[in-house]
Amino acid sequence: MSAKSAEIFFKSESRYRTLVENSCDIIFSLDTEGNFTFVSHAWKTVLGHDRGDAVGHNFRKFIHPEDIPRYETSIMTALQTNSAQEVTYRIHHADGSWRWHTSRGTPHVDENGVLTVIGMAYDVTERLRIEEIMTQTEKMIMISGMAAGMAHEINNPLGAILQHAQNIERRVSTGIPANLKAAAEVGVDLDLVRAYLQKRGIFDFIGHIRTAGMRASVIISNMLYFSRRSESGAEYIDLSALLDRVLELAGTDYHLKKKYDFRRIDLQRDYAADLPLVPLVVAELEQVLLNIIHNAAQAMAGAAMRREPRITLRTRLSEGMVLIEIEDNGPGMDEATRLRIFEPFFSTKEVGVSTGLGLSVAYAIVTKGHRGAIEVQSRPGEGSCFTVKLPLQGKA
Amino acid sequence: MHNADIRVLLVDDEEIIRDCITAYLEDEGFIVQSAASAEEALETIAAIRPAVCISDLRLTGMNGERFIVKAHSLCPATVYLLHTGTLYSLSDELREIGMTADDVLLKPIHDLSKLVNKIKQSAAAGRTV
Ligand SMILES: Nc1ncnc2c1ncn2[C@@H]1O[C@H](COP(=O)(O)OP(=O)(O)OP(=O)(O)O)[C@@H](O)[C@H]1O
Ligand SMILES: [Mg+2]
Repeated sequence: MSAKSAEIFFKSESRYRTLVENSCDIIFSLDTEGNFTFVSHAWKTVLGHDRGDAVGHNFRKFIHPEDIPRYETSIMTALQTNSAQEVTYRIHHADGSWRWHTSRGTPHVDENGVLTVIGMAYDVTERLRIEEIMTQTEKMIMISGMAAGMAHEINNPLGAILQHAQNIERRVSTGIPANLKAAAEVGVDLDLVRAYLQKRGIFDFIGHIRTAGMRASVIISNMLYFSRRSESGAEYIDLSALLDRVLELAGTDYHLKKKYDFRRIDLQRDYAADLPLVPLVVAELEQVLLNIIHNAAQAMAGAAMRREPRITLRTRLSEGMVLIEIEDNGPGMDEATRLRIFEPFFSTKEVGVSTGLGLSVAYAIVTKGHRGAIEVQSRPGEGSCFTVKLPLQGKA
Repeated sequence: MHNADIRVLLVDDEEIIRDCITAYLEDEGFIVQSAASAEEALETIAAIRPAVCISDLRLTGMNGERFIVKAHSLCPATVYLLHTGTLYSLSDELREIGMTADDVLLKPIHDLSKLVNKIKQSAAAGRTV
């Protein structure tokens, strides 16, 4: 269409209106205060709010508090530089959730000489979710290559540390004839040697070497999950029974008891009644669920809770997958934290207590080992919800 | 069976690993010999006829998997254990010669007394075959 014919085409006000009202994107205008002066029909279809809720109201009423400054900056820049500006932000949906939108706004002086910003906005929630999964996958691929190599390089030195510490303990013990013989040859009394070592704390030191070595070894063996390939070992399992056992394990884990009392947490079970058996590796899935529950319990213990701590376990079927949801009403996490929790060694907890491997191992087990998915939703101050999705068909 | 009657052959390309495991097993009274490669071990295994042979998986030269298959054809009475630092599931060939997941030892072994028990069990089982 030439410029001339376009002019003729759009001359009719009704054609404009039809285009605007039928657009799948939200078309809007804002005055310089940030009040909506117009929103198109898509406002209702995309966000579920009535158009009347928007017009005459400020954009700040709809935009996520964390994103308001960014939105403001974009409008200011558009007005000051008289240029189109793009911004991505979370906006409130009538169903109570936040959706990610991108909008592009341009300053415009209308026929009455009034300055406004007119623009178009569309939903990018799904695109961002897919991008997030891809970034996560790329990170894992990089890490898995490294983990296997590192494990191989580190296990031998670690073995030497652990095993020689054990050798030292034994070579000063009186139980081995060769020790007594060597002591006699050099003219020392082994019992006195032991008394000396005891007095100077040497046995404790050796014990500490072994404990520290074992801790390092547990970290390395956890990292091996990153390079794990999907392999057999899966059995068809009754998920409800497995979840019950995990809750029992969580309650008896002495690590947990040290930090807080698991019995104080209100445990809700909401299992789907009609679940088929699910193919999975029991020990691995137990580890995944324990890690998530452990985190929830730790988060709730660490925060000043003004409500009774609660963990809800839910299962349901959806599109050939079984979904396991683990929801807590703890402190939740902000967006910056949420995006990093599946990274190995990312932790907001005390150094030396937590290594930050829990969720990255869970991620590897679920996505690589079981061809499933793991996702998280969280609202600061309200809680977090982890969803583990497992395919019902065994591996292809 | 007395530990002193049990011969153990240890194959690992890292000297320090051979040293620390040998020291422990010798203290337990076993007769221990070691080799730094599969090739070296294959030269001597027929003469040693160990009750138990522990081999590393990743070796320079022939790997532990192939080594065990070859060694088994020379010394079928020996019980073979695979010592590895990476996640590993047994190959079909190793299953065929009777190895199970229990015969794969994960590096690093935290407590060598567990290895001692495993060797004793294996030696006892090997004799009855
Ligand atoms: N339910 C939750 N509520 C709030 N924050 C959470 C929750 N679960 C995880 N997190 C955050 O995610 C981070 C990473 O969790 P991850 O389990 O990977 O490591 P960690 O618990 O810190 O250490 P480790 O699991 O090795 O003991 C935690 O430090 C915490 O900040
Ligand atoms: Mg954790």
